[in-house]
Amino acid sequence: MKIKLKTFGQFIYQSGFREKEVTIPHSITVVELLPLINLKKQFPMIITRNGKKIGHDDKIEDGDRIVIAPFFSGG
Amino acid sequence: MKGWLGKYLRINLTDKTIKKEEYDQEFAHKWIGGRGFAIKHLWDELKPGVDPLGPDNKFIVALGPVSGTPSPMSGKVVVAAKSPLTGGYGDGSIGGKMAHQLKKAGYDYLIIEGKAKEPVLINIEDDKIEILPANDIWGKGVYDTLEILYEKYSKQHGILTIGQAGENQVLYAVVRAMEGRAGGRPGMGAVMGSKNLKAIVAKGTKDIPIADSAELKKANSEGLKGIKKLDDEIGWSKQGSTFILSWVNEVAALPVNNMRSTFSPDAWKIDGDRVEAAKVGRSGCQGCFLRCGVAVLDKEGHHAELDYENMALLGSDLGIFDLPQVASLNYLCDDYGIDTISGGAALAFYADAIEQGLIQGDFKFGQAEKAKELLKKIAYREQEGDLLAQGTKKMAEKIGQDSMDFAMQVKGLEISGYNCKFLPGMALGFGTCSIGAHHKEAWIITYEINETDRSSYGRDKAQKVVDLQRIRGGLFEVFTVCRYPWIEIGWPLEHYPDYFNNITGLNWKLEDYNEIADRLYALIRAFWVRETPDWSREYDVIPKMWFNPEIADKEGPIAGKVLESDKYNQLLEHYYDIRNWDKRGIPKKQTMKELDLEKEAAELEGYVSLE
Repeated sequence: MKIKLKTFGQFIYQSGFREKEVTIPHSITVVELLPLINLKKQFPMIITRNGKKIGHDDKIEDGDRIVIAPFFSGG
Repeated sequence: MKGWLGKYLRINLTDKTIKKEEYDQEFAHKWIGGRGFAIKHLWDELKPGVDPLGPDNKFIVALGPVSGTPSPMSGKVVVAAKSPLTGGYGDGSIGGKMAHQLKKAGYDYLIIEGKAKEPVLINIEDDKIEILPANDIWGKGVYDTLEILYEKYSKQHGILTIGQAGENQVLYAVVRAMEGRAGGRPGMGAVMGSKNLKAIVAKGTKDIPIADSAELKKANSEGLKGIKKLDDEIGWSKQGSTFILSWVNEVAALPVNNMRSTFSPDAWKIDGDRVEAAKVGRSGCQGCFLRCGVAVLDKEGHHAELDYENMALLGSDLGIFDLPQVASLNYLCDDYGIDTISGGAALAFYADAIEQGLIQGDFKFGQAEKAKELLKKIAYREQEGDLLAQGTKKMAEKIGQDSMDFAMQVKGLEISGYNCKFLPGMALGFGTCSIGAHHKEAWIITYEINETDRSSYGRDKAQKVVDLQRIRGGLFEVFTVCRYPWIEIGWPLEHYPDYFNNITGLNWKLEDYNEIADRLYALIRAFWVRETPDWSREYDVIPKMWFNPEIADKEGPIAGKVLESDKYNQLLEHYYDIRNWDKRGIPKKQTMKELDLEKEAAELEGYVSLE
């Protein structure tokens, strides 16, 4: 299935991309997605699906837009 | 005393007197510095109801015990006065070189009174303090003013100045430092202008008394290395705060078209990636390498220093998604000395009011060239610029009808770059910020999105706002140092009391500052109440637009949702309860007593009954 991915901060440089569409296996969770795009859970992350929070163990679905940003506390 | 110099200058521009005054340890320990010194003096010395643009208002420039010392990112000063924009307490913190130079000159703060007959600047060189004519720089923009002052003094001098907006008393004119630093959103630049004070210049050569220099040196060195390592890992400096724009767009919290929308498909055109690609330079305050000023070339070829708030209020909130044009608007605001946030918000409100048919005018969302013309008219208070120069609240009072519903401000200060159409906790942060709607004291969006339920109005959110206000609006504002290493890249907060202890020789812990922060918040609130005869909790309530279901997003993560007025008021009650304030948002008598504000409570009772 196809999903869209966007990264912020250090995750741009770790994953090697800023935004792209990828094909991933069905029924994988967020935790399972991360190593596929060279990301480790060592830094605090905020991950959203279509603008809403998604849990690390939640399943990703076809057409999702997944955004991975570092945890920060704003301006 | 170590850390504190115990000395300040009282400079009266009417009679040109300059007094060196002193304060004692009890005062230092009770108020610490920066915002603490400012509110204490303004409470004690300003006659209630004073005209903020008259000679009896006082303009304060204050350092804290940590600012200007060899500790990480300590190059900040607080500027404060009664605000001409809001009529309440106003302040701002500005980075640059002033903190280090003023401290080395031997002064913890300045109180500037009266009004000069002609334009002047104040020059401070150790014990030599001069009030000098400034006719040669009056009327000039900030960039030309700085060039002249660099030539006359040096680039190493600490310099605070204003542009034409401050001179002409635009109510949200800021104080400016270096090429891209600004502070004092609630019209602190207009207060300088009202006193005919164009600039303050300082250079010092004295030693700063530090209790444990060796330990401070070690802590500073470790701090700088640690912060640099974190920044290298995270890459924050590559985009500075502009990185957040696309994220805010993803979660539907971006100001778009006077905050009527929370996201735009065009946001990527002005996001951090685009800024990084267009970057031509970076700049920061003295002693800082987490340099937040990311410069790009604007449409006319100037170096314009961008940060997120500028991009949001001068870009997306105006429907302008052209990076060089947004940079041009930013450059003009910086040159005129207009607050980028309130300036952008005033333009957005104007475009909205025209679109709604409530006022005649020639300006639409998306018109960058027209926006440039309007900024000039604002700075010189010409034609419609005179209306816009007064800020959205006063504009709405003049325009009437239901325009106040979409004047995006609280207490008269325009809301900064986070659209809280469906962010209850962040809305509370804006509602209760001590200078009006600013994000600087509490920013809880990642908490609301990631750590809890976005739709909740739970007490935990009020507690989070108070916790952050104690640190961001308390500790950082009294130490008067930059909060960015902590908030942006996670440099542990626990280091800050260490710096303070090394400097002062005290042994205070992080939690010790809560009481000091609570004292400041209570006295700042008392100041608002004393200045506001019709004070009620309505002053802590956010604009009606965020409660209006008719403007709910049609799609996206918060489709169909807006804030609910009853629930917001419950959240506000939690906030008052945590602070031990009454239901009107006024500190109780017992609360003030516990915060060692008994004398102030007795005076406040002359204006309002206390519970």
